[in-house]
Amino acid sequence: MTDFLLGNFWIIPIYSLIGALITLPWSLGIVRRTGPRPAAYINILMTIVGFIHSSIIFNLIWSRPAQQLVFHWLQVADLDLTLSLELSPVSFGGLEVVTGISLLVQIYALGYLEKDWSLARFFALMGFFEAALAGLAMSDSLLLSYCLLEALTLSTYLLVGFWYAQPLVVTAARDAFLTKRVGDIILLMGIVALSSYGEGLNFSQLETWVNGNQLAPSVAALLGLSLIAGPIGKCAQFPLNLWLDEAMEGPNPAGIMRNSIVVSAGAYVLIKLEPVTTLSPVSAYGLIIVGTITAIGTSLMAIAQIDIKRALSHSTSAYMGLVFIAVGLRQVDIAFLLLFSHAIAKALLFMSAGSVILTTNNQNVTEMGGLWSRMPATSLSFLVGAAGLIALSPLGMFWTYHRWFSGSWDVDWWLLLLVMFVNVFSAINLTRLFRVIFLGSPKVKSRRAPEVPWQMSVPMVSLMMVTLITAFAPIHWPLWLSPNTPLALAQSELITQYATPLLIVSGALGCIIGSTIKVRKAWARSSNLTLRFFQDLLAYDFYIDKLYELTVIAAVSNLAKLTSWLDRYIVDGAVNFVSLATILVVMLSSTILLDNLSFT
Amino acid sequence: MLSALILIPCLSAAVIGLLPAKGNSPRNLAIATALSVLAVNLILAFQFDFQQNGFQFVEDIAWIEWIGLNYHLGIDGLSFPLVLLNSFLTLIAIFSTNPQIQRPKLYYAMLLLLSGGAAGAFLAQDLLLFFLFYELEIVPLYFLIAIWGGPKRGYAAMKFLLYTALSGILVLASFLGLVWVTEANNFDYLFLRSHHLPLATQLLLLAPLLVGIFIKIPIFPFHTWLPDAHVQASTPISVLLAGVLLKLGTYALLRFAVGLFFDGWLYLAPWLAILAAISALYGASCAIAQKDMKKVVAYSSVSHMAYILLAASATTRLSMSAAIFQMVSHGLISAFLFLLVGMVYKKTGSRDVDFLRGLLNPEKGLPVTGGMMILGVMASSGLPGMVGFISEFLVFRGSFPIFPLPTLLCLVATGLTAVYFLLVINKVFFGRLTEGLAQIPPVKWQEHAPAFVLLLLIIAFGLKPDWVTHWSEVQAIALLPGS
Repeated sequence: MTDFLLGNFWIIPIYSLIGALITLPWSLGIVRRTGPRPAAYINILMTIVGFIHSSIIFNLIWSRPAQQLVFHWLQVADLDLTLSLELSPVSFGGLEVVTGISLLVQIYALGYLEKDWSLARFFALMGFFEAALAGLAMSDSLLLSYCLLEALTLSTYLLVGFWYAQPLVVTAARDAFLTKRVGDIILLMGIVALSSYGEGLNFSQLETWVNGNQLAPSVAALLGLSLIAGPIGKCAQFPLNLWLDEAMEGPNPAGIMRNSIVVSAGAYVLIKLEPVTTLSPVSAYGLIIVGTITAIGTSLMAIAQIDIKRALSHSTSAYMGLVFIAVGLRQVDIAFLLLFSHAIAKALLFMSAGSVILTTNNQNVTEMGGLWSRMPATSLSFLVGAAGLIALSPLGMFWTYHRWFSGSWDVDWWLLLLVMFVNVFSAINLTRLFRVIFLGSPKVKSRRAPEVPWQMSVPMVSLMMVTLITAFAPIHWPLWLSPNTPLALAQSELITQYATPLLIVSGALGCIIGSTIKVRKAWARSSNLTLRFFQDLLAYDFYIDKLYELTVIAAVSNLAKLTSWLDRYIVDGAVNFVSLATILVVMLSSTILLDNLSFT
Repeated sequence: MLSALILIPCLSAAVIGLLPAKGNSPRNLAIATALSVLAVNLILAFQFDFQQNGFQFVEDIAWIEWIGLNYHLGIDGLSFPLVLLNSFLTLIAIFSTNPQIQRPKLYYAMLLLLSGGAAGAFLAQDLLLFFLFYELEIVPLYFLIAIWGGPKRGYAAMKFLLYTALSGILVLASFLGLVWVTEANNFDYLFLRSHHLPLATQLLLLAPLLVGIFIKIPIFPFHTWLPDAHVQASTPISVLLAGVLLKLGTYALLRFAVGLFFDGWLYLAPWLAILAAISALYGASCAIAQKDMKKVVAYSSVSHMAYILLAASATTRLSMSAAIFQMVSHGLISAFLFLLVGMVYKKTGSRDVDFLRGLLNPEKGLPVTGGMMILGVMASSGLPGMVGFISEFLVFRGSFPIFPLPTLLCLVATGLTAVYFLLVINKVFFGRLTEGLAQIPPVKWQEHAPAFVLLLLIIAFGLKPDWVTHWSEVQAIALLPGS
């Protein structure tokens, strides 16, 4: 039995895909009598099956060496495209997170979307989404990963555009797709080039190719930069970061997946590509620079947001920025740890935010307050999720940072400063949110706010437990989250002695600032002009969208107008002119001919 | 065997045209004809040896000896997918025709004649015979646009006729020149191919041929007949025009331009690759600014057909197979998109992206059409899992080692595909339903059947691309001399 399950591990993504296909009669409206609920139950069942299957394998895998399942997809001429899947602690650890969180989210969605008329369509999309994510966790081939990333782009588009009748949703879905597509196309350029230069597109082949091959530095730099473009789009890094924030118009359960797992999926591919992207120092520095800019910029943006989901989604970009830096420094294990701790805590925060939104019918934090006593489970979840992110409490992120600066890794003071910066602002942001949402006196919209139904509270509380427990996961399963280096402490330098205390101090500082700063309704838009300038600057995301409008969008739309004008009046005009001229010449010559004839 | 592919539709066209038929019988007869042609094609597929080089099922009969015209047919890995695509899309086109169409006898006769002419052109292995079929197919298409077209059909049909007639003349000039230079006494393809001409002569003969072909494909700046023809043609005709007739151009490109004038082709290839990139970007850029859904799809055709020129100019083993694959893939996807746009037009009476809104509305809109349109758009913009991705990937992968920069520019055009199509989807299908459109007649399942079949094929070939590539792999490489 176990051998059978191990041998057919490739089937795990198929489960949820089947679930998605089975829901079609409901989502197309062929079956109406039962209502959309059966579709949801089927999908949840399939996810449970997938979760159990992957859990069994996850338990068996420790005694076995990693193995690959190679599938020859296409052989044409001299090209052999293989897709391969990997059976290893890393891939199945990822799979556990994907199926586990997806299961919780789907149960949560039953409550959140209870009154929605197209619940079946939502579950069909979720099934597709989960299948792509699960495949991505197991994929060991760049080509397969690219295909699945594109499938994610499509399903993100459809999930963000779920309520497609609303104007903001329409633009959000469009921007999410196109922004990611920019990154993906550049990534595809890299893949085409890599496939032309290299031996094959499997990650292991790429690694050996990198070690043996000497590319020209400029080519290696371009290649590396093109490969990081895809993850930049997926992980919402500067300058492709705005889609994540806009995508918050979509339904919240999908938002949970997006902010915890989907961004991680992009980073996961980046980690797998690490040997190639750090081949050239240019692209390695590129990763670090992009990560740093994003971490600083989005940390600042987050504290000025009044939309609860947007405030959290900007912080997602900031943590992904740290992951980028870790990959740029070739510290892959830390990147894994960051991803894992962030994914769990952020999923919990988003579940809590979703509960608040559902009960208050509102996303604006300035209109909330005093929910603490009314929604205890939600409040506690928010607290635990925040604790998981801020390096003050001894939960996931604290231990991750601790390990980063423990001396096993080559770290520098600027990095410590940056991590402290992110930590301070993350703490300010989360304490600020906690205060305005849960503490204080209730406002109009938060006065009658019952706790959410069990479909939402059960997954939320379960995830809360998971967040508390998984702080110890890296110690339990070192091969999963630290596949390369054992967790031993090495030399103790000055930086390692001071790092942990400094981080704790930064977390405390953030919490203190966040909880002492005056919260008044008037502050939502200050009358002090200088303050308001900075507030607007941050709240409108440094006007990056205006920058897009003035540069890329303006360029493309003007070019389109220009070419279609050229097409109509110059290219086609020339043709019409020739035909007109021909007709005129014929008419003139015939009249002259006739005149001459009449004279004679 | 091969003659059947040409004769069945032509004879049936005559029968439909001449017999006094009432009611649905012309349509039924046309469907029966298309089905039997498809059946012959499938039988052919089972007997065809994909591993063998050269032409199979050859039929060679002397026709008009004093000009050297032979009725010489043959099929190889380049012709086979296109012939199959032709017979399949003909069936789709007939099915998607409105059963209450005016003058059904003439319409179906013309449609079958068109299909037979195209099949003949794909099968002809005699240059003059190819030319005859190439011209033969223009006439029915002219009538199909000029009689059953939109409001400006006269202009569009005349423009199409003049352009393609010019294209035919240029192709003929090149063929005649070739025969004159080689002092051959016939137009046999293989015979002429075995001649080796000096580079200057090749270039001189290649130039008119290329211009003629570029009009047909169409490649910038010879493309302006296409958007007009598409917009004015009815849906089934657009399906055939995009799916089959444009492929005549790329077929001629591979068969004659590469096959007969290889040295000249290699000499021009770097410029052709740049032209392909320009055409791809230009088509995409024009598509962004269009307000008519059909024009968007038409310009996307200009953009996507240019990839075939790119792949052909790279002349690697891979890129030649990829070029053929891209023809099939573009045939299926553009036919699919035209069907869906046609469905929107049929139900709402408009294709204006500024007027239509919110058609995904599940109660009053066109949700299934909208859902399929999203998939079609994704297929066209190269989403993995559908045939557009792998065919374009092979084109790019095959061309990149030879022409890196044009390939990257074509990749940018692929990115723009998502832009123009997504703008259409967002405007037409998302948002609130247009006020004046409260009464959209519901779409019956059988109306969607042709589109469903195409979608299935698009996905199936996307997941198992070797089903297409193995048809042509061995023989596509044989187009290149020395391999």
